Amino acid sequence: MNRYYYYSFLYVLLINIMMFVPNILIQNRFTGGVSSMLLAIPFGTMLVLVFSSSMTKFPGKAVPEILYERYPRWFVTPVMWVLASIYLLGSIIVLVAFSVVINRFYNPDTSSTIVLYLLIAACIYCATRTTLSLLFILEMLIIINAPLVVFVLGKALFTSDLDWDAMHTVANYVTVKPNLDSFAAATYIFSGYLNLSILNRALPPNFRLKHRWIIPLVGTLAMFTSVFIPIGFHGTEGVDEYLFIWSITADSMKMEFGFIERVLFLYLILYLNLTLLFTTFGWHKAMEFLKSTSKSYKPELDADKTPILNWVICGSFGLLTIIYSIVVDEKQNYNIAGKWLVIRFFTEVISAIWIFWLAYRVRSKSKSKSKINVKEQTESK
Amino acid sequence: MRRLISLVLFTLMFGIILGGCGFKDIDKRFFVVAAGIDESGNPNKPFRVTLRLAVTSPKIEPGAGKSQIETIEAKTIAEGVRELKAYVDKELDFGHCKIFMLGEKLARTEMTQALNWMTRRRDIQMIANVSIGKPSAEAILQIQPKTERYPGNTLFLSFGKEGTDSSYTLSEYVFGLRKRLTEKGIDPVLPIIVSERDTYRISQVGLFNKKKLVTTLKPEETQLYNQITKTYLKSSLGGNVEDDPYVLTVGKIRSNYNIKNGPQGKPVVQMIIRINGLLEEAPKMVFEKDWTPIEQELGRQYSKAVVQLLKKFQRYGVDPVGFGIRYRATHYSGGDKTWQDWQRMYPNIDFDVQTHVTIEGTGLIK
Repeated sequence: MNRYYYYSFLYVLLINIMMFVPNILIQNRFTGGVSSMLLAIPFGTMLVLVFSSSMTKFPGKAVPEILYERYPRWFVTPVMWVLASIYLLGSIIVLVAFSVVINRFYNPDTSSTIVLYLLIAACIYCATRTTLSLLFILEMLIIINAPLVVFVLGKALFTSDLDWDAMHTVANYVTVKPNLDSFAAATYIFSGYLNLSILNRALPPNFRLKHRWIIPLVGTLAMFTSVFIPIGFHGTEGVDEYLFIWSITADSMKMEFGFIERVLFLYLILYLNLTLLFTTFGWHKAMEFLKSTSKSYKPELDADKTPILNWVICGSFGLLTIIYSIVVDEKQNYNIAGKWLVIRFFTEVISAIWIFWLAYRVRSKSKSKSKINVKEQTESK
Repeated sequence: MRRLISLVLFTLMFGIILGGCGFKDIDKRFFVVAAGIDESGNPNKPFRVTLRLAVTSPKIEPGAGKSQIETIEAKTIAEGVRELKAYVDKELDFGHCKIFMLGEKLARTEMTQALNWMTRRRDIQMIANVSIGKPSAEAILQIQPKTERYPGNTLFLSFGKEGTDSSYTLSEYVFGLRKRLTEKGIDPVLPIIVSERDTYRISQVGLFNKKKLVTTLKPEETQLYNQITKTYLKSSLGGNVEDDPYVLTVGKIRSNYNIKNGPQGKPVVQMIIRINGLLEEAPKMVFEKDWTPIEQELGRQYSKAVVQLLKKFQRYGVDPVGFGIRYRATHYSGGDKTWQDWQRMYPNIDFDVQTHVTIEGTGLIK
């Protein structure tokens, strides 16, 4: 089951481009972006390990169940609402950003709202599925998309257009002290572990996280490529001028002997898949959090029939997305993404510490219990 | 009931797609294959935009490529293109436009506006080639090469690696030009297309500072520039040793450079060039001779030519090789200070070029 954990880590790590993480880090490239990235690696890895290993102390339980068992309802319900709205907002930001990208690069003649409606329809359907089916979808999409990721990355790294001097120049600014915005953005790369807050239901009771070294390694690789490759292509100054920095970077690569010459289209297909995946999971998590606030709620991993409530909740998510896309324009979406990253960072830290504390208490309780058992046994002897 | 609901939903969804889509069929589109931007000389309408539109035809054979040329004068490029739509019966599509040409006159005055238009427009590829048309972009676009299989192909092949692989032709993409235009420490270079009756000659480059064309290089200098900035470039190297002409076909060329402080504390650009190749022209029985002095002599002459070229760049205050960005990368001293140091240093920096030529063989004869 370890692989499902890493899949969910992987897709969040790849979606950072749609969440404007490279844009924020590139904007801060001379003002502390590089040092923030370096700091984010140990910090992000630590959060991942703390949260994940704590969650394994609660086999088969998701965050809502854990909290509702220990705290009064009036206290936990608002927390669930906050978590749900953060996940929802994140998915909406990505979905709206991608509908704009499609409109710009795929078909300028189609309005971005139509694209958005189609994406929403697909996401509503997928998000209402059960947690278990979502895990299978996750595996399939990751396997389908992995070659595309490798191809685009390889193409980027081995082209002669990549200017290593420019990357080196930006890397020199590592001595500038880090700032919160870029630090929060950089830690987002590691943020996939939060999927465990719902997916833990699907993991077997004896789950132990193996191959932990993958986390810092892949995280570092993803972070540095998503920031430094655009710098290599567009220079230390020009890189800041582009809005859709990675779409433009993918468009700067050329496949002379491919079916199509522009790598851009491969990249867009890849990110279409990833965006749908991300939104599906984001909405599903938000939906589960909301559903857990009801008293009669019973967590089900693989229900036979899709409850009507699922449709209602995801439908209203879709509606909210449409309203968001009408109210918010491209520029505001970008700014909201920056703020969202910072808020998400704090909730992440708080939830990791909280769960860690609960897990610590569970362990100490079970330890004292086992001590008593031992005592009883010796006494009976 | 469920089925009815899903049926209604599906119908509604398809309604969305069919309703407001602005998609135009492929036969209702005019594909622009090359675009030229010139200065018109008219102060009210300073830009002259020329578009080469592909006339689609089922025939693919030499000479079958037909195209239609449309020209307009306008206040801005975007307005010109918009107005041009009134001249044609189909929708203009820039998605396949792989050549952008700036007229020489425009390049000598101001090129940033044209480049801004290119990068801001969403349907223009970042991997489109940018070049300079001499005497004007319009004159180049008017040429209809005889051997062209489909419209615009001659120019595409000249710049790409698939067709001819000339050591005199430089190709620069939109994103590369924009990088060089904005970057501190490297300046833009663009190939110049010259009309030669029914065909083109692309053997020169124009050097730019951050705003405009400052000078052009001769074909020999262009080849030198290409050689020192690229690896694995099929090119040649000539020289005389003891009055005998030697020509080496270069199989592999690699250059490394760094910036150091020289003996008197004066900064020096140190460049080491390694060339491997076969002799293509040489006096008789060169196989029996000692090759080392020949290699050294050829290397010395080559180094001298390179130093001359670099001095020329320095004289015009441009840095097309990117010494500046290398200095910024390797001599970081906090903030923007490195860049200011470099700007002060570059006008009187020294160049120390060493070339190591390796003759791999003498061809098929001794």
